[in-house]
Amino acid sequence: MGAMGEMKDGASAANAIETVDLEMTYRSGRVDVPAVQGVNLTVRHGEFIAIMGPSGCGKSTLLHLLGGLLQPTAGSILIDGTDISKLSDAERTAVRRRKIGYVFQRFNLFPTLTAKGNIELAKKIHGNGVSNPNGVGSIFEMLGLKGKFNFRPSELSGGEQQRVAIARAVINRPAIILADEPTGSLDSRNSRTVLRMLRDLNKKLGQTIVMITHDSEAASTANRVVEMKDGRILTPTCGYSYEPELERVN
Amino acid sequence: MENLVTANIRSRPTRAFISILAVALGVILMLVVGGIVSGTLDDYLGRTMALGSDFILQPGGSSILYAFSDASLNQKLTGVIEELPGVAAVTPVLSKFHAKGFGLVFGIDMESYNRFPGRLEILEGTASLTGDEVIVDQAYADAQKVKPGMTINVLNHDFKVTAICRPGAVVRVFIPLETMKVLNGTPDKVTIMFIKADPKADLDTVYATLRDKFPGNSILRASDPNLLLAETRLPGLAEFRMLVVFVSMLLSFMVILLAMYTTIFERTREIGILKSLGASQRFIVGMIIQESVMICSLGAILGIAISEVIRIVIITRFPTLQVSMTVGDLLRGLILGLVAGTLGALYPAYKAAKMDPVKALSYE
Repeated sequence: MGAMGEMKDGASAANAIETVDLEMTYRSGRVDVPAVQGVNLTVRHGEFIAIMGPSGCGKSTLLHLLGGLLQPTAGSILIDGTDISKLSDAERTAVRRRKIGYVFQRFNLFPTLTAKGNIELAKKIHGNGVSNPNGVGSIFEMLGLKGKFNFRPSELSGGEQQRVAIARAVINRPAIILADEPTGSLDSRNSRTVLRMLRDLNKKLGQTIVMITHDSEAASTANRVVEMKDGRILTPTCGYSYEPELERVN
Repeated sequence: MENLVTANIRSRPTRAFISILAVALGVILMLVVGGIVSGTLDDYLGRTMALGSDFILQPGGSSILYAFSDASLNQKLTGVIEELPGVAAVTPVLSKFHAKGFGLVFGIDMESYNRFPGRLEILEGTASLTGDEVIVDQAYADAQKVKPGMTINVLNHDFKVTAICRPGAVVRVFIPLETMKVLNGTPDKVTIMFIKADPKADLDTVYATLRDKFPGNSILRASDPNLLLAETRLPGLAEFRMLVVFVSMLLSFMVILLAMYTTIFERTREIGILKSLGASQRFIVGMIIQESVMICSLGAILGIAISEVIRIVIITRFPTLQVSMTVGDLLRGLILGLVAGTLGALYPAYKAAKMDPVKALSYE
């Protein structure tokens, strides 16, 4: 990792995320398909932003780029001060391990492991012992999962599974949580619970969160909403608030 | 901590069991077949040594498996050898393979044969070996339920059992040399000659004399087990052993390759999740290898246990067969099972590590 990025590990960057002229083009047969075009996005530490837009607008691609799962065609991505756009796959994986926590629409828990086992696995992968000081027990309590330690995903409701996924995402104290439609597979009650969890993490622990959603109610939980269309950001850094919805969530 | 590797194995018990069984099969194949070959050879060499001869004269290029040698030694050489300085006794033998007992039958001249320390020591019956008479050893008698006075068929010829001798006199079935020559259609030829040196004679000098006198023939030094084994020409034995080991390893390798290859396709999405959590390629490779090693370890241990049971069953039910399984053999079985399984897991592990995380996450 010697040549990695612009900032040494552990140093504090001004922004959690900063993309500059970010481009991602897929090759489909003989045709180039631009998925992300000229995206300039800045997310400050402790911010909770929602990215909205129609299907195929490039939201998920952008999230994968931010998480280092994809390498951009052009432009740069600074994650907590580290430019990951030019890094190798192994180096991006290392950045992801240290700085990113993922929450998916379909929870993506390991079905063979218990709730605790899923979280322990994330700790093991992280491997440097810098896990959440609150510990698994406290995180579970905070997310309303007390008593669910030894349950397998198949024994948990969708909402509970997503809360376990959130616990897994935050256990290693990542700089950023990337949530890919976290309420997409949940009913409205569980959706609200999960959104409240995310909001609490942001407000109480200062957790930076980037969330993709189709749902305006979910988006209202965020401090800021960014809209995308055809791979571009339409309303960069505009204020966007659904306070009444927020209150209802609370 | 809960372990993903063991959890994965537990979650697919049928496939895990079949994989374990297949690895066990490879280990069993190697241990039992190798054990029978080694055991039979060791037993044979041991009994050859037990006769107490110092040299064995054979036609050139022969092997210790006398049955596969031609009966091409002129029996008249017996008199020539007896006259050589330092030679105390000589006995000619004509051997043939007896399929029913899966062993050799010796046609012997009992009078000269019994001049050797490992002579036929009669345990039951009368020490008589002429015409259509046969003497069998205790192991053969036990296995075939033979008693003195009974008639048995050996080499498609009926013989009357005159006596049971103690085991260890080279082979288990003895008929008169003259009868054997008639059955074989070789009136003046024998297969081998056992030679005993005078206790006062220098063995190296006698050996040199025999080599000078019979340059075209093979002379084995039977007094030293290492020399006997080294000088014994067993056609393709080493290659056969290698083949058994290779087939066993190939079996384990293929099974693990297939099992792990299927596994990583089934777990494509899980591998994507691992990558999204920041798992390195080394972590993923390690996970697949660990699973394989665990399956192979269980397979090898099961294989060793079953092989031991098979060994006990063989030596109990077939006393004339020997199965040699030393601690070294068992360790080799364990190691080879593990190595083959680990090699089999390498490619699937590499495929898993190289998987595109985005595609893996969207895998249905």
